[in-house]
Amino acid sequence: MDYKIRAARKEDCKDIARMIMELAVFEKMPDQVKISYKELERDGFCQNPFFECLIAEVSDAHRSKCGNGIGKSLMSKVAKIAAEKQCVRLQLSVLDWNSPARDFYAAKGAQDLTDSEGWHFIRFDGLSLDNLVKEAPQD
Amino acid sequence: MEYKLRKAEPKDVPDILRLVKELAKYEEMENQVTLTEQDLLEDGFGDTPFYHCVIAELQPQSSDGLEVVGFAMYYFTYDPWVGKQLYLEDFFITQEYRGLGIGSHIMRHLSDLAMKTRCSGMMFVVAENNESSIQFYKRRGAEDLSQEEGWRLYRFDKESLVKMASAREE
Repeated sequence: MDYKIRAARKEDCKDIARMIMELAVFEKMPDQVKISYKELERDGFCQNPFFECLIAEVSDAHRSKCGNGIGKSLMSKVAKIAAEKQCVRLQLSVLDWNSPARDFYAAKGAQDLTDSEGWHFIRFDGLSLDNLVKEAPQD
Repeated sequence: MEYKLRKAEPKDVPDILRLVKELAKYEEMENQVTLTEQDLLEDGFGDTPFYHCVIAELQPQSSDGLEVVGFAMYYFTYDPWVGKQLYLEDFFITQEYRGLGIGSHIMRHLSDLAMKTRCSGMMFVVAENNESSIQFYKRRGAEDLSQEEGWRLYRFDKESLVKMASAREE
């Protein structure tokens, strides 16, 4: 199957937004997606972008399926960029029940730090973030 | 006790590294710190800062000079579902000066900054055996996404990164 990995352009944001939603549906949390392609355009293609993005595109009208090596190529490209920029690590989060993804990463040498070191992801947002701003000085 | 919160400057790099190591020691992982002052200087105060830092300093009773007693290292990241996030990377107050409200003040400062820069959330990781920190955050309404949604932190080290980078294309 013919495909190409390249840096995303502003025009790709509609497709990126579509795929973000597809992934969120897979992760069973589609109602948590609050932003659209407009925010992606604004935040990813401004003077100081808040994210970078690589996309894989197929040359014909082939529907992409798993098992064609596209995932591996994307990871390889991300790792190349990390190495070029002298990064010492690549970190990511994955859902506990998502065995295919966990296996994919483990096969490539990733460690589950939640398991081995007990790290948990914590977040303040919405009301709890508002409250933090207003919090009284006393602990 | 009077203290001051301010933005870190290049001259603070030795103190930042000192506190990074103190925090790593507290987390029982001090041997994992390979960062140098030069790295901190280049990465924080060059053309493209990879982190920002706020520090707490005060004048200890025993001396004339100012001492850096706490810091928070953070950067901006992106959540594809909700947009900009403030990621709190390291947050530490020297033991001697805990319980004085410095930590709370830093949290308030950071959340204010998050709001001002249109971040929808502030995120970080905490080790599950760090009871006092977990309580500190839970008291303030934080969600434990690992517990509530099942997110696990995965990491590729340099060796695995290099291997992946040179993997033959399929």
